[in-house]
Amino acid sequence: MNLTELAQGEKAHVRDFSAVSKIVQRRLVQLGVKENEEICLKRKLPFGGPCMIETCGLCISIRLDEAMRIEVRK
Amino acid sequence: MMHAQQIALIGNPNTGKTSLFNSLTGSYEYVGNWSGVTVEKKVGIIKKQLGELIDLPGIYTISPISKDEGVVTDFLLQDSFTDILNIVDASQLKRNLQLTVQLLELGKPMVIGLNMTDVAKLRGIKIDYQCLSSSLGIPVMPIVARTGKGCKDLINYFKENEKKTIHPLTLDYGPVVESAIGRITSLLTAYNVQHKRWMALQILEGNNRILSQIKGFSHLQELEQICSQTESELLNKNIAQTLQQHIHHIREAYIDSLLNSSVSISKQSMPTLTDQVDRIVTHKLLGIPIFLGLMFLMFMLTFDWLGFPLSDLLDAFFTGPLTDAIESFLQVIGASAFIEALVLNGIVSGVGGVLVFIPQIFILFFFLSLLEDSGYMARVAVVMDRLMEGIGLNGKAFIPLIIGFGCNVPGVMAARTIEQPKERMLTIMLTPFMSCSARLPVYALFVGAFFAKYQALVVLSLYLLGIFVALIVAKVMSSTTYKNEKSLFIMELPPYRLPQVRTLWRSTWEKGKGFIRKAGTYIFGGSVLIWFLSYAGPSGFAVDMNDSFLALIGGLIAPILIPLGFGTWQAAASLLTGFLAKEVVVATMSIIYFVPEAQLQGFMVEQFSPLSAYGFMVFVLLYVPCLATVAVIKKESHSKKWMFLSIAYGLSIAYILVLIIYQVGKLVGLA
Repeated sequence: MNLTELAQGEKAHVRDFSAVSKIVQRRLVQLGVKENEEICLKRKLPFGGPCMIETCGLCISIRLDEAMRIEVRK
Repeated sequence: MMHAQQIALIGNPNTGKTSLFNSLTGSYEYVGNWSGVTVEKKVGIIKKQLGELIDLPGIYTISPISKDEGVVTDFLLQDSFTDILNIVDASQLKRNLQLTVQLLELGKPMVIGLNMTDVAKLRGIKIDYQCLSSSLGIPVMPIVARTGKGCKDLINYFKENEKKTIHPLTLDYGPVVESAIGRITSLLTAYNVQHKRWMALQILEGNNRILSQIKGFSHLQELEQICSQTESELLNKNIAQTLQQHIHHIREAYIDSLLNSSVSISKQSMPTLTDQVDRIVTHKLLGIPIFLGLMFLMFMLTFDWLGFPLSDLLDAFFTGPLTDAIESFLQVIGASAFIEALVLNGIVSGVGGVLVFIPQIFILFFFLSLLEDSGYMARVAVVMDRLMEGIGLNGKAFIPLIIGFGCNVPGVMAARTIEQPKERMLTIMLTPFMSCSARLPVYALFVGAFFAKYQALVVLSLYLLGIFVALIVAKVMSSTTYKNEKSLFIMELPPYRLPQVRTLWRSTWEKGKGFIRKAGTYIFGGSVLIWFLSYAGPSGFAVDMNDSFLALIGGLIAPILIPLGFGTWQAAASLLTGFLAKEVVVATMSIIYFVPEAQLQGFMVEQFSPLSAYGFMVFVLLYVPCLATVAVIKKESHSKKWMFLSIAYGLSIAYILVLIIYQVGKLVGLA
């Protein structure tokens, strides 16, 4: 399943995020996102807006289409 | 004066770097709380004259993604500095130490300022500073930059700093990468460069900024070959997916071993205040209304409730007691009629006409600082992203635009934090449409004369018009010039922090003093010149203003402006001088219509109708960026083409839009 399929406030572990576009991927790595790391979907904004995720005690916002490319497992 | 020490301040974004800078230097610096607010290299003198402190943009790793991050690579290889002060967020040690490791690999004398030790303690993170310091081999000083705690110890450290040589940290990156490092360093021996191993590692990580620092580099192909070979070897041997990830993992393993011995965490997680506030301000339905509501509140306070009465008081003082006092002083010292006219009609009305807006401008800057320092600005970027995506930009671009409300110059510079070159250029081109505080005096003069009852509403409509035009231009440009580049968005949301009064005042003053300085230089000089042009004419001095040089120059342009409804030489001359700085429009008008306050409005009513007055304000909003903004656009875009383009399309959009407003208004009988 991908990150956006989680319920709001639900936690999961990152399985694979190599499909995310290169620049965003690099930034995510810098911010501490990596495989097997716990990730929480905090909020999705309306009208297909960006979503807010939390990982390693840090809140990050990315677009919905990028979040869909992050595979997670519960 | 050359100082003995040059200390580079380096750290991740949102770690309180700028607060520390202020505490250590005691200088008036600008503090921000969103990723990459420090867009320029700033230098301050450390207290007790101990040396220079150089503030660098916040970065997560040396290898740059956005333009402002590239500054650090350039700096580390180019500029001479004696020490590095690495600021580290104690509550985010694991992530912060990635940068620390890269700095240690460079092998420069370094000290760590471990910031936010109070936040870390609250989260149950216990750090053994001694142990961390001895494993890293460099001093670690616990501090709380916001309150200044521990900063004395840092200053003392630099006071007693004795130079010792430091050996670069060398991690073992495994046989595959190590052999690649060896091959690259041997390539680099052909060039006169230092830190070869460090450079090799950075190149492998994808830091292409390194190459531009090597003069006459000609082994680009070999390098690319080494990188791709190494990467595929890592993949084949199932070690890692990319070079970057592999290097990151090795460093992380090292960091984990460090933290195991020096940090203990008593786990407890409870919803923080930030979570609760975020639940409201980024709410599904309420997010955008809350943002608009806050903006509305800001405008009402600036223009209606607080700013306007204060400006009125100041104006009464300038035109009343101050003018009288100067007048009697000039009479006492027996000044000539020429000097008296110059001082009273030129300087006092020109400079004074602009200075009366100080209250409004400071209130506006206060709110902008509040937005930045509290961390709300980053949420605005998130809330606005969906809308911005529709016009080919991302939410981050909204921040330079809001900063542009204060002044377009820092707005254009703030665009550096945007990762995609296309979105950055677009943001730069849009910022001049944001109605900066210098345009405020123009509006205030006109709404006072023509729209006394609806002041705030009319001004708000101009701000919104500016945004609207910017959005249309963005849409057009992103679907023509740049249609092939994809827009991206990723943003770190820092926790909310209650801004401290001292910091808020500092950043308000820092922004506002530029306005006062302009009044003393540009506007002062401009006023004298304009007054002189209005005082002298082809037939001599003290001519009727309609026969002056100013009328002559304005008269040349005036015919072009007739279709817009303000084809007078006065309007043309003020617009012309407004290129210098937009406030000068008001200075010029105050000089041209030099009449007591009570009559000024009557005078303006003769020259403008409410419709053409509104048209004039729209024209001033859009027509050309001021001189300073044009200069910074050229600097930031590295191109004269974009600079001229920004002037040309500003002028044409202004002309066409005002033409429509005036002609349609006339048709429906508004004139």
